[in-house]
Amino acid sequence: MRRRERLTRRRFLRWAASGAGAAAFRLPAATLAAEKTGTVRVWGEPGPYGAVAVDGMNEWAQQHAPGLRFAIETLPWSDVYPKLMTDLAAGRPPHCISVESPIAFQLMAEGLLEPVDDLVQKIGRTRLIPAARWEYWGAWKGRQYILPAHHQAHLLVVRTDILREAGVTKPPGDWDWNDQLAAAQRIKAKTKLYGLCFALGRNLATDYYVISLLHSAGGRMFDADAKFQVVFDSPAAVETFEYIRELFPTMPPGAVGYSFLDVVDSMVTGQTAMVFYWGRVFGRAAEINPDLFKGMEAYQHARHPRTGKRYNWNDFQGWAIPKDNNPYVAEVRQALTHVLSSKEWAIRYVHSLVPNVSPVFQDVVQDPRLLQHPFFATKRRTIFEYYTEALKHASNSGNELLRGINPLAGIVHGRSILAQGIEKVILDKQPAGDAVKWVQQQLEAIRREHLRLLG
Amino acid sequence: MELPRGRAWELSDRQLGILFLLPFAVVSCLFVIYPALEAVRLAFYEKLPFQRTLTFVGLDNFRYVFADPVFWAALRQTVVWTLASIVLQTVFGVGIALLLNQTLRGINVFRGLLLFPYMVPTVVIALIWRWMFNPEFGVVNAVLRGSGLISAPIYWLATPLWAMVSTILLNVWKFTPFVVICVLARLQVIPLELYEAAAVDGAGAWRAFLHITLPQLKTVLALVVVFRTIWTFNKFEEIYLLTRGGPGTATFNLAVYAFEQATANLKLGAAAATGVVMLTVLFGGSVLYLWLIQQEEA
Repeated sequence: MRRRERLTRRRFLRWAASGAGAAAFRLPAATLAAEKTGTVRVWGEPGPYGAVAVDGMNEWAQQHAPGLRFAIETLPWSDVYPKLMTDLAAGRPPHCISVESPIAFQLMAEGLLEPVDDLVQKIGRTRLIPAARWEYWGAWKGRQYILPAHHQAHLLVVRTDILREAGVTKPPGDWDWNDQLAAAQRIKAKTKLYGLCFALGRNLATDYYVISLLHSAGGRMFDADAKFQVVFDSPAAVETFEYIRELFPTMPPGAVGYSFLDVVDSMVTGQTAMVFYWGRVFGRAAEINPDLFKGMEAYQHARHPRTGKRYNWNDFQGWAIPKDNNPYVAEVRQALTHVLSSKEWAIRYVHSLVPNVSPVFQDVVQDPRLLQHPFFATKRRTIFEYYTEALKHASNSGNELLRGINPLAGIVHGRSILAQGIEKVILDKQPAGDAVKWVQQQLEAIRREHLRLLG
Repeated sequence: MELPRGRAWELSDRQLGILFLLPFAVVSCLFVIYPALEAVRLAFYEKLPFQRTLTFVGLDNFRYVFADPVFWAALRQTVVWTLASIVLQTVFGVGIALLLNQTLRGINVFRGLLLFPYMVPTVVIALIWRWMFNPEFGVVNAVLRGSGLISAPIYWLATPLWAMVSTILLNVWKFTPFVVICVLARLQVIPLELYEAAAVDGAGAWRAFLHITLPQLKTVLALVVVFRTIWTFNKFEEIYLLTRGGPGTATFNLAVYAFEQATANLKLGAAAATGVVMLTVLFGGSVLYLWLIQQEEA
């Protein structure tokens, strides 16, 4: 049996010397980090902006880590959740992720992300645009885990030429839910187009549409002020489901299978006169149907007749760094700091898809170069509806009514709970009240199974 | 000529056979048996994808899936999808094989072309079929409207019934060639004397088919049906790529259900439990089917 060794002065000195030696050898190793080689995998959503940010990261790499190459991997939204979960579970995460806030919040609360408080200081804590706060992108228990990439809201996008053709005279900016429904019905009756379209498939997009209407009606999924108790089962939720049921006959019948880009196609191919959509639909229309683009305008959503609220869904899309199995944490941190500190890269990023990706820093919004994009010549009002006005009505499931970050929302969307709920009403013809109760049960199950995330 | 004996390195036929089987056995153990056993084990545990901990939960995962109405709906839909696919594949497969068994000039070209659906990757097929089934500009609706069969577009993938029909059609189109190959191979070795004798006895084509061809095909059809049932029951990619199980859960089968449990619900144990249920159903069904065939032959 081995004798337990006593701590002596000589032994202490020997340990101290070996520790110092090891540190001395580690020092060159740390400086060698800049000589790392390989590909840094960056996940982003479909669109050119992720690639622009990666170009900025590669600019940093050329100067500080020439052996590294940042590469964008774009994932369709509907695949983000399963892909993310399986890759994280397999211990092979991407090295940097651009993801919507509700999903990022789940990763953050699971303890899978690298904290970035020090980077906030470097990028500039006071630079955010008014009405935005750092935690909207992702802070948990007093620490920041997500850095802002952009914010993007879905708004009511209309074809003004079709409104005129249908004889709808009230301006969309003044509509309430009843006006919106009446306009959609009138367009369907008086023109060859469908009145309104949004996604009703079993996917993330549908969840996002339902939640914004729910919030406007005065409902919520969870109560952030009461330990995230489930409060979905409410008259507001029933009203939301019934309102969508009333809208459905004005939509393309295929909407029950639609996801994000199907809604874009529905408008830009001239099938539908109005959609709830992010700014991407303008870029797509300008590209494939310039005549149609001319008549398109965006407005804040129709207000709810009783509450007066007109919430949108705002992604608050950010950058996250997986902390485990990630050999490039240090490099990603520096590259992100480089890109997010640069007004030039911010403007290039925003210009890559106007008005889909809204700038997040005030100095970028005020920079005259921001206006140097052709869309500003004809769509300036619409663009600023997205860039600044939308923030006044921003909400999403991960931070309902901007009253508290909820890490359960990502799981709700992973399971497409709200989409399944509304499909029960539309496809299975269930009473709205029954579908609402089903959603309530599912949300309660999620909360029960993941109480640990709530701390 | 007698081969020299007694050398130490020389292997017997049995040993040589074992040696040749060894790579297959190793690969099977690593990539088939071990994962299957691991999946069975996982069915009795709770496992979160991000955490390394496993918690034994007994039969809880089975209780969870059996209490889930979507599981039962998925099981019903799996049965419908499997039965419809197998019946159609067998009928079309036998029919096409009979046609291709004719001795015509250039028949080998058709035999080769027939393999096309079987060779194309499923993901490509699914994407093409999604376009074909598009209600507004898909070729299927265009043909139906052009021929006056329908006046309004059919929403193939957005209507529960038509979505199921679409997935079955895709499966039948892709896998009928497998049935054709198996049946054609058997058809080509049926002794012609049997048909000649039947013709002498005055049997027509239908009676010859019923009393000669079909009995001769029995064994191969039994095998084809068993294999196709197992593969169709387990099928994931065709349904997932074409409809993602939608609209709603109208085309969920058990494989899609298990996938959703694992990736969307993060319930790896429930997904594994679903897999165990599938394994049990298929194993039981296959044994019963083969036993019935044997009884019939006896």
